[in-house]
Amino acid sequence: MDEKKERSISRMREEVAYFEPILDILKATPGEMEKLQAFIVENIVNNDREIIQCVEQGKPFLSAQFTHPVEILTAMDIPWYFHVQQQFVAGGTGGTPHLLEDLENMDKLDVPTDCCTLLRILLYYQTAGLLPIPTAYLALTEPCDGVAGLHAAFMNHPDWRDVPVFEPEVPYHDEQRAYDYYAGELKRMIEFITTHTGKTLSTDRLKEVVNETNRGYELWFEYANLRRAVPTPHSYIMPLSAFYTLNFAGAGDPVKTQWYRDLVADAEKRVRENRPEMPNQKIRVLWYDIQPMFFSELAPWMEREWGAAIVMDMVSYCPYELVDTSTEDAMFRGLAKRALQHPPMIHQARGLVDNVLTDIRRIVTDYKIDCVIFPGHMGHKDLAATTSIARETCRELGVAFLNIGMDICDKRYTSVDQIKDKISQFFTAMKLG
Amino acid sequence: MQTNVRSKALRTFSEAAQTIVNPEVQKWKDQGGKIMGYFCAAMPIEMITAAGLLPFRVRATGSTSTELSDAYLANINCSFPRHAFNMALKGEYDFLDGLVFFNSCDHIRRVYDHWIRRVKTPFVKILGLPRQDQPAQVKWFREELAILRQGMQEHFQVEITDDGLREAIALHNTLRRRQRELYMLRKQDNPPITGAEMLTVTVAGTAMPPVRYGRLLGELLEDLGKRAGHSGHRARLMLIGGEMDNPDYIEVIEGQGGLVVTDSLCFGSRLIWKDVDEGAKDPLTALAQYYVADRPSCPRVYTRFGARMDYARKMIQDFKVDGVVFVRLTMCELWGFEQYTASHDSQGWGVPVLFMDRDYAQTSIGQLRTRVQAFLETLEAKHG
Repeated sequence: MDEKKERSISRMREEVAYFEPILDILKATPGEMEKLQAFIVENIVNNDREIIQCVEQGKPFLSAQFTHPVEILTAMDIPWYFHVQQQFVAGGTGGTPHLLEDLENMDKLDVPTDCCTLLRILLYYQTAGLLPIPTAYLALTEPCDGVAGLHAAFMNHPDWRDVPVFEPEVPYHDEQRAYDYYAGELKRMIEFITTHTGKTLSTDRLKEVVNETNRGYELWFEYANLRRAVPTPHSYIMPLSAFYTLNFAGAGDPVKTQWYRDLVADAEKRVRENRPEMPNQKIRVLWYDIQPMFFSELAPWMEREWGAAIVMDMVSYCPYELVDTSTEDAMFRGLAKRALQHPPMIHQARGLVDNVLTDIRRIVTDYKIDCVIFPGHMGHKDLAATTSIARETCRELGVAFLNIGMDICDKRYTSVDQIKDKISQFFTAMKLG
Repeated sequence: MQTNVRSKALRTFSEAAQTIVNPEVQKWKDQGGKIMGYFCAAMPIEMITAAGLLPFRVRATGSTSTELSDAYLANINCSFPRHAFNMALKGEYDFLDGLVFFNSCDHIRRVYDHWIRRVKTPFVKILGLPRQDQPAQVKWFREELAILRQGMQEHFQVEITDDGLREAIALHNTLRRRQRELYMLRKQDNPPITGAEMLTVTVAGTAMPPVRYGRLLGELLEDLGKRAGHSGHRARLMLIGGEMDNPDYIEVIEGQGGLVVTDSLCFGSRLIWKDVDEGAKDPLTALAQYYVADRPSCPRVYTRFGARMDYARKMIQDFKVDGVVFVRLTMCELWGFEQYTASHDSQGWGVPVLFMDRDYAQTSIGQLRTRVQAFLETLEAKHG
């Protein structure tokens, strides 16, 4: 394998090396949470191994987004990786160990510094040859301007210029016409994948996969309902993992459904026995945006210092609607609707502000939320422009609202201490905790 | 660079570009006419004309602060929507009878969400504008336009017929052709019109009745034919960027001796470089085809980066451009990433490129002067 290819998978190799011993420990530990966590870690490692193998053996694979219906990719039996995930590689504890060095190198690119860091750093990975060059690339037109700009940059990089690209066009509105239109885009996407990888789609296989993810969604819904309990059964890690596990590569595998079953069983038991994973819960928080890479420096602190439990968050909340698999057309329409309404960012940042307000209203009421926290990522310009309406909605609902203002990748923008200060002052001023 | 032109038409254009409710708009309103605003160059203005309304593109000309809109939009939002929405909150857009938004960018689409809650414009719609230019997107956009047509007909009690659309398409194509004639004059070694004046003309075209505008364009073309062109400039420049409706900005550049001879701006050449197909069977499809696929794109159509670079290269060649000034409104991610990608492509353009960030309101003039000055010196050094 040439040097370029080896470099492109070097971060994945590091991730595997980082997680393997952790996985051994988790597997050897008999605790209930360890068992659930071990599955997630193993899932990450297996995905990495699969892509590494594809690169080593010259097998076809895609670079794609979790926002495309992952069921289609599973049914077509095409390995894929989500390039944004690369930033979290060997992470879980504050982003990749190379993060600072990567951020400094990113700053040397000619992208204006007011553009989203999450995307700028991804561009750095591409230019530095740290992303495996796929057989074909599935881009996306939403949820934000930065993503579109990033894809243009990706498509015009000398090493990627010859990689075939398909970008399903995501409509702005949520209506039947939009779902029909997006279903057409998905069919075109399948043709594209077949053309460039030789992989074909069997409708029966797709139905089988969707039926399985439907079971996963049912369980996810059940789990989300259990999170309404006071105290809420789990700490912040499990709910976030639930989303990634269901939506990442291999979606539709019955093993994943079983994991959901185990997750629900564990949550149910904890609710029944009044034995939450996080003791002394005092403040019920809705965290409304994606989590910063340094979340492990914040969330445990919020739990420990303030008894603040993240009862619901933007990533793991979705409408939980199941896909009708009775006919091929119904299935595609259902997958299209799921792709527009379920994935984080696509669900909230695309479309009218009402998407966000509906979420806030439902979650605050259903989950007995005490306060809503907007991290205020510097790249999320649409959410920044949403803040005042969200604040107003929270005022109507009688819950406190905090907009922090941070860079979810770069602690130099707002330091962890500054963020903690803001949160502490907010909790104190609102007499929470 | 001082204007050489003594033209009544240009003075009228200047008045229209430097104000919001200009005398032409006021006269239209006084005569009982209705006005439909829009926020983006992707608006098929032909539909507004066919409805018998006056199309008016929203700007924030003259705005110097954002004290009201700051309560709704954040400091990481683009200054253009912040200024424009501030004006709306002050009532300066109360003269609009309707307003059409697109999901043009992350900032503007959120202005829609605020506008419908805070400003009492009687008819406000937001349409989904595709980011791609394939047949499926044209078809989608045609449906969006059909929905808009229905909504306008019901609200304004008018009929937008296919024949009416055809007439409006022919009218606006005529205007585009005349505007292009003006651009062609700028290919001369001594162009009779400056870049600031040209922007004045195109901006005015978005703020006055089209028939009247067409007559004035004819007069201006005649006036320009009679006079000597500009000479003594230090370099011929091209501007590339997005929202730019302030001729004063170009005047600062031209004040340093750089003559702006062409552009790829969304109030500039991209508005006028192509025509809508007048021979199409279905005029609404023709409009969808034009606004989604045929006209020069901005970076939100990210799959057409190559076409945009070809467009820039051809402009540079045709207008004998010595240097390019790439202008971006800060906080704009679309143009931010475009700037990055273009910075690589532009290495093959054969002319130096200056990348500038700016705020909507004309601030940091000193910095602009200094940077342009240095850039012009670089160009002069290059040419010996």
